[in-house]
Amino acid sequence: MRPPTTPRERSTPEPTPARDGANTSGSGPETASQSSSPSSSESSSPAHEPVTDLSDLPPAWSGRGAQAWPGVPLLVALALWVYAMRHTDVSRLDDYGLVSALHPAFWAGLAVLTTGFWFTVRDARRPAAWSAVYVLGLLVMERATQAVLYPTPLYAWAWKHEAVIDHLLTAGGLQTADQVGDMAVYDQWPGFFAAQAALQRLLGVDSAAMFMAWWPLASSLMLLLPLLLIYRTFTEDRRLIWTAVWLFYVANWVGQDYFSPQSVAYALHVGVLAVVLRRFGRSAVRRGRPRQAVWTVVITVMITAIVISHQLTPGMLVVCLLALCLSRRYRDWVPVVTTVVIFLAWCLTAALPFLSAAMPDMIRSIGDVGANVETGYGATPTGTGAIATSWAARLLSGSVLLLAAVGVLRQRVLRHRAWPLLLVAAAPLPMFAASSYGSEMIFRVLLFMLPGAAFFAAAALLPKVRTLAADAAAQEAGNRRATGPAKARRWGIGTWVPLAALLGGTLAFVPAYSGKDRINYFPPQEVALVRQLFDQAPDGSLVVAANRNYPDAYASYWSVDHYWFLDDARSHVDRIVRSPAATLARDMAGVERPGRAYFLLTQGQLANSEMNGQLDKAQLNRIQRSVAASPRFRLVAENSAGWLYVLKQSEGAER
Amino acid sequence: MTPQELVVRMLPPFGGWLALAALALPGGSPLRGAAVVLFLAAGPGAAVVRVCAPALGARPAEGPVERRDPDFARHSDLLERLMLTLFLSIGALMLVATVLIATHAFSAQRVLLTLTLLTTLAAFCPPLRASPRPRTPKGSAQ
Repeated sequence: MRPPTTPRERSTPEPTPARDGANTSGSGPETASQSSSPSSSESSSPAHEPVTDLSDLPPAWSGRGAQAWPGVPLLVALALWVYAMRHTDVSRLDDYGLVSALHPAFWAGLAVLTTGFWFTVRDARRPAAWSAVYVLGLLVMERATQAVLYPTPLYAWAWKHEAVIDHLLTAGGLQTADQVGDMAVYDQWPGFFAAQAALQRLLGVDSAAMFMAWWPLASSLMLLLPLLLIYRTFTEDRRLIWTAVWLFYVANWVGQDYFSPQSVAYALHVGVLAVVLRRFGRSAVRRGRPRQAVWTVVITVMITAIVISHQLTPGMLVVCLLALCLSRRYRDWVPVVTTVVIFLAWCLTAALPFLSAAMPDMIRSIGDVGANVETGYGATPTGTGAIATSWAARLLSGSVLLLAAVGVLRQRVLRHRAWPLLLVAAAPLPMFAASSYGSEMIFRVLLFMLPGAAFFAAAALLPKVRTLAADAAAQEAGNRRATGPAKARRWGIGTWVPLAALLGGTLAFVPAYSGKDRINYFPPQEVALVRQLFDQAPDGSLVVAANRNYPDAYASYWSVDHYWFLDDARSHVDRIVRSPAATLARDMAGVERPGRAYFLLTQGQLANSEMNGQLDKAQLNRIQRSVAASPRFRLVAENSAGWLYVLKQSEGAER
Repeated sequence: MTPQELVVRMLPPFGGWLALAALALPGGSPLRGAAVVLFLAAGPGAAVVRVCAPALGARPAEGPVERRDPDFARHSDLLERLMLTLFLSIGALMLVATVLIATHAFSAQRVLLTLTLLTTLAAFCPPLRASPRPRTPKGSAQ
């Protein structure tokens, strides 16, 4: 569904412990020196602040104004966002999706927010709360904009998940492939859907569609705490921590934050990594203090929740934990063994039906890297807008990975200190060889690399981290020389290049994330048309459509059949294009009473087909006109978003 | 136990019973939604974290090499507790809902009632003691 992100950088630097060890007695993260806390007088003294180089900062500006000024750009940015929300019209999206529809005030707001963030975060003397508030502002502008602008939830996949919840509530239990066909896979990983079914009923709403538009914001917020914890394991430098968090969010355009099991499983995955990085290291064990078993129980609960919810995430967690075992600091097999045991237990029991059916294909795809990174038919961006936004996404991902590589190469001390995080970032790469995951593996690998990649990308934008010994020497040299040359550097390349990079990434997020909204947005008329269909379709009916890109495409999937003809062989699609009404009528003829056969064509299907290089608008319009003119079909409903026809039953009987 | 400790201890189960009571409000009501979401997102996890707190904090976490800010580790621990509160609550919700649906005993009220009972049970549990250490390094933080 989305364009591939081509540029990838694999960063595999050497830890060079000997060299670092020569530089400092404390550069090794596990050295005894870290257990001794500095005295409060030392730590509160500004002289002891800069382990990283702060000399490029403006002079300290004391007083109430200094504390409050970051609020000014933040408020301006949010005011511009609110103004843009009130003056953006999404009723006529073009091939650039939301990008061309957004009011210019939105872009100005995003630029002001990013600039304000950079000048706030780079001053380590400011309270970290300001950086946190800026990141929350970014999340609102990034992840709440669509929920505010669109009257209906985005993404056909989110609507599909809403249908799965509906199915669980209707059936009251899990069902097999004999009962629900291919959709039984969701009953074999039901964790997310069962929880959402409970939530829907407890809120007393008719459908998860009432709240799922806000899920991207909620799931992104869930990631904030584990991300902070991971970064705080390797540095105290708030600039690095918050810039990494910022870069993570702007590079996370892949769109797995929508209403889906993977959104929660991913947050839990990052949470497990945070716990393992903080609590399963060996330094404290060496000091004679064994890890408490309760931490194993804690990650067991989180891992079990991941395993019962999503197929891919446990696999990614296993490779990340295995990679961590490559470092001596984290050579603890308990997390890996726990994950593997729970994963296998689930796969060999509840998920066995799906896995036994899918296993031959999965085994065939192992090692076929070329096929695994292909995006497949129907996923080729077509048209100026689709291509431009795809390139924005590629450039964004490529730039962040490139920055991460620069950070790894440039920050030798940090590379050594955060070596485990580098391993976690590189760990998902071998998954390319494991499976295509429905042509989506490339996006998933990128997503799982991001926590580590964002950290090193942020490090590339900040001054070099010094060893403790080097830092102490620099402090001894005094702050005397800080004034002259630093003044020249204060507004130099170290300020503007990182700001330009942050601005570029933050602005590129919008086309990467929202550039395909013409495909993903279904106006209320389209929703109404589809609901009209399902309100009248008797059990055993068949719905024929070009593709599954329309709201409620899976509604009542346990009692209504679907046929999406663009999924069929190309020869059959060509036959439909040549002789639409006759071919479709033949395809739809086998429906037995009381079921009916419906033909549905909506603007979501048109957009998806056209922008992904399948049938163009003219071809699909010809199909619609042919069906409209055919005596075999009767028009049931139409509106500005599409058409709904039913096959006349007498015609079916004749054939 | 001080009154403040008692309040902290009883807040999660109280949130659960409040959410159950809120089900009497009309569907879609903001008050009902707030009570339910707050409890599901934090209640069970908060109760578990309280019980496990001494054991969870028995050993200092891994941290950065530089130790300039004396509050840094404490703030990290606080963030960790918050994260566990959220993720253990979400995990508990997913596990309980899945068990009930797999046994064909699912109803939303049963999910909420089960979580509330578990939270109440946890509130009455004494804090989990840390396992004894072979030795106590001089000057180590708790």
